[in-house]
Amino acid sequence: MKKATLQYYLPVLLLTLLCDIAAGQQKVSGTVKNDQGAVVPFASVSFNGVAQTQADSAGYFSLETKASGKRVLSVSAVGYKPFKKELVLTGVPLLLGIILQHDTRTLNEVSVSAGSFDASDKAKGAALTPIDAVTVAGSNADITQALRALPGAQQIGEQDGLFVRGGTNDETKQFVDGTLLKNPNYPAVPGIRQYARINPFLFKGILFSSGGYSALYGQAMSSALIMESVDLPEKSSARFNIFPANWGIGGQRLAKNNRSSYGININYSDQSFYNSIVRQTPDYFSGPRYLQGDANLRMKTGKTGMLKLYTNWSYSDVGMSNPDIDSNNLKDRFQLKGKNTYTNLSYRDFLSDNWKIDAGIAFSYNQDKTVNQLADAAGETQYLPDEPFRSKAFYRNINTYFAQARAVFTRMFYNNQAIRFGAEHFYANDKGVRNDTNLALTDQLTAVFAEGDIRLADNLAARIGARLEYSSLLDKMVIAPRASIAYRLKDGGQFNLAYGIFYQEPVSDLLYSNRNLDFTNATHYVLNYTRKKNNCFFRVEAYYKQYNKLVKTYPVFSNGGNGYAKGIELFWRDKRSVKDLDYWITYTYLDTKRNFLDYPYALKPAFAAPHTATIAIKKMFQAINTNVNVSYSVAAGRPYYDIRYSADGDGYKVFDQGKTRAYNVLNLHIAYLTRLFKKGKWQDFSGIGMGVTNLLGTRQVFGYRYSADDGNKVAVTLPATRGYYLGIFMSIGIDRTDDFLNEHL
Amino acid sequence: MKKTMLSMLVLLLCYYSNFAQSAGNTNELQNAVARLDKASGVTDYEALEKEFAGIAARQADWLPYYYAAFCNAKIGFLYQDDGERIEPYSKRGEEQALKAKALLDTATQKKELSELYTVMSMVYRTRVFINPMTYGRKFGVLSGQYLQKAKELSPQNPRAIYVDAWVKYYTPKMWGGDKNLARQLANESLAQLQHATAGTAPHWGKAENMELLSHYK
Repeated sequence: MKKATLQYYLPVLLLTLLCDIAAGQQKVSGTVKNDQGAVVPFASVSFNGVAQTQADSAGYFSLETKASGKRVLSVSAVGYKPFKKELVLTGVPLLLGIILQHDTRTLNEVSVSAGSFDASDKAKGAALTPIDAVTVAGSNADITQALRALPGAQQIGEQDGLFVRGGTNDETKQFVDGTLLKNPNYPAVPGIRQYARINPFLFKGILFSSGGYSALYGQAMSSALIMESVDLPEKSSARFNIFPANWGIGGQRLAKNNRSSYGININYSDQSFYNSIVRQTPDYFSGPRYLQGDANLRMKTGKTGMLKLYTNWSYSDVGMSNPDIDSNNLKDRFQLKGKNTYTNLSYRDFLSDNWKIDAGIAFSYNQDKTVNQLADAAGETQYLPDEPFRSKAFYRNINTYFAQARAVFTRMFYNNQAIRFGAEHFYANDKGVRNDTNLALTDQLTAVFAEGDIRLADNLAARIGARLEYSSLLDKMVIAPRASIAYRLKDGGQFNLAYGIFYQEPVSDLLYSNRNLDFTNATHYVLNYTRKKNNCFFRVEAYYKQYNKLVKTYPVFSNGGNGYAKGIELFWRDKRSVKDLDYWITYTYLDTKRNFLDYPYALKPAFAAPHTATIAIKKMFQAINTNVNVSYSVAAGRPYYDIRYSADGDGYKVFDQGKTRAYNVLNLHIAYLTRLFKKGKWQDFSGIGMGVTNLLGTRQVFGYRYSADDGNKVAVTLPATRGYYLGIFMSIGIDRTDDFLNEHL
Repeated sequence: MKKTMLSMLVLLLCYYSNFAQSAGNTNELQNAVARLDKASGVTDYEALEKEFAGIAARQADWLPYYYAAFCNAKIGFLYQDDGERIEPYSKRGEEQALKAKALLDTATQKKELSELYTVMSMVYRTRVFINPMTYGRKFGVLSGQYLQKAKELSPQNPRAIYVDAWVKYYTPKMWGGDKNLARQLANESLAQLQHATAGTAPHWGKAENMELLSHYK
């Protein structure tokens, strides 16, 4: 260090004698080398932003200036970080030794990536873009459905959300521009998968972490889905789509000065007409009906600021009738009406060259109103006083108010190093009833967090952080450490290691009846290797996860549960080998056991198959303007159990168990694209989309339901063997064809 | 102390060597362009790019920058199917093209500007190769705009016509691609290239057109 300083400021007195310097002129000269000591030729040299000269092939430069006092010398060369140094010009010639640092952004960058798939609009080669990630055939514009085609996630046909690495769907949380998306899906209906409320094409970045994620996020034991919404659209546009069960219209307007925009969309789906043609197994007496609207306002503030408002409201109604499992002639009538609003205001800006702020607030309101009744063949409601029938007549209404505020500050350093820190607060208030019982809870959860990105060497980077969380409801404070390391190999491959502890509050349903609970937690260990080359992408990841303090409901309500999950996952994507063909293959091996809720001992949970594989193929037939999209998934059989309270005093027992048949599903999507108006200012992008889910008509068994007396065992399967759709879409003003055809996959 | 003395010597040498350089540069450029005419692989273009960048740094002339940017564009085209590797070349090509533009008098040097815009169109086209789905929307449009400008400035520019042919060949029909028109344009470009003379002025294009036309056999 001392030597370097000497070099910078070494006044060469002798030089003044040798050179014919005009009065008041000062000579500044030097050589430019890189951090490995090699000469950097032809660097540009400037003073206070005014270009002065260029170094020669030996890295040498020399210039004269009449200026005196403090001046900033800048030296830049392609492939290197700009060099800046304040000099004090006193008339004495300066000879400088300048060392430029490699700019890793333009070279092979080492970036911390264990445990996650980062789908960004800046993706290169075979890395995923958000559109790649969400356009898997059969995903029905639902991001969590689409991400099931990535390793780590289970194929669960009867429930929504993501089941990641032995975790339940509650263990995956979704974040939009930093804030929690409290209710991403329409309310859950037993045995029938529901869909997402938010259009996945809203996002320019989707980070799917299946383990070891950053300290900036918390309250998700298994997985974080971190999504970043788009900024300003490129043009004003309008769009509509008409599918028999799904109508939508929307538009967005970009201001003339390109500094702000607004947009609004409305979608309506009523499946009763479709269900009258394609018979469904539950007999729907209401809906299924979904109405959803969203609006956004985005504006640039100042030079670098961006302010975004997004609001989404939705309504759903599903009423279905199934044969009652415990009797021959009764029907089980279930109806769930849901209301939800979600509003997110986010702001980001550079406070200076090195400081950045990301802030956001979110509000949401959710109402789930459920009525379940037994009815006889004539449809008359029956009230039976004894179990198992008594508890089948219930009314439940839960209203949840949620708010969050968050701010993150980032201080950037050279070499892509940074320190981030911030805080967030979550407020949740549930009010409701189940029959005559009031259900209520209020929770204030506060978190502070900090993490640093450190470059240990050119090819070695680390991210180390910690998160402190306090919940008023549990009256507990926890500290969650997080760390990951990335090591880049010469051939472009990269090894990643991650470790972290992830805390999560028990779900509300458990907290209504018992407050003496603690945070549940999981510790992750992840090892990963990735390599991207020639528009191909290979990734292998192994992990071990230890669950602690899972909630037990029997023999006593406690945090006495635990579990583990371990596995290996493979991912291979190839965009190159066949022209216009893009495919990826994933394989997931999962070994997991847990003892939680009413499990009598550690069991392989019913939502975990040991082997899962998916192939997703996208092929564009340029000559006929047709895009064909296919996905095929297979999974080994899932365990199923009949766990019931035993009257003989043994408590909860496994009365029956087994393994379902293996699962396989083939989904197909075809889109024909065309343009009706080829000339003129407004251009359209139109097309016809069609598709079939479970094309092969495979009988899917996701598990079994049991009658109370064990005599009746009914398979949980798809509501209809296949699903179909056919419709048209049009967008006028901007090329959004991709979005449209993909929305209906 | 030894180091300081050395630095001084270098300093003095530089003072006097400046005069001799200008004459040498033209020959150097001539040699490099002659080798460019025969270049084919990534290593050839990488070596030539360094050389052109070196010449560019020693004199205020747009041509060496133009050729350096062209080399980077060619590398991008050769790496077309390897999106991971293109970005540094593409960005470098863009910087060099902008430097070349700064050295041109945009009011009078229309032909030169047309040549430069053709290369800029190619440079932005390489940005599309990084990932057509995400980069295409912005850089595909930008590439098209520069090509349009190049053709407006000099409708007979055989290199602009070639790039147009390339685009028409590789763009899907629905987005304006036309393979017959592509062949017509490639032939037109070749006809214009009959008048090309070796020298330092842009004269490339023959091999590129032949390669494109070979797809029709």
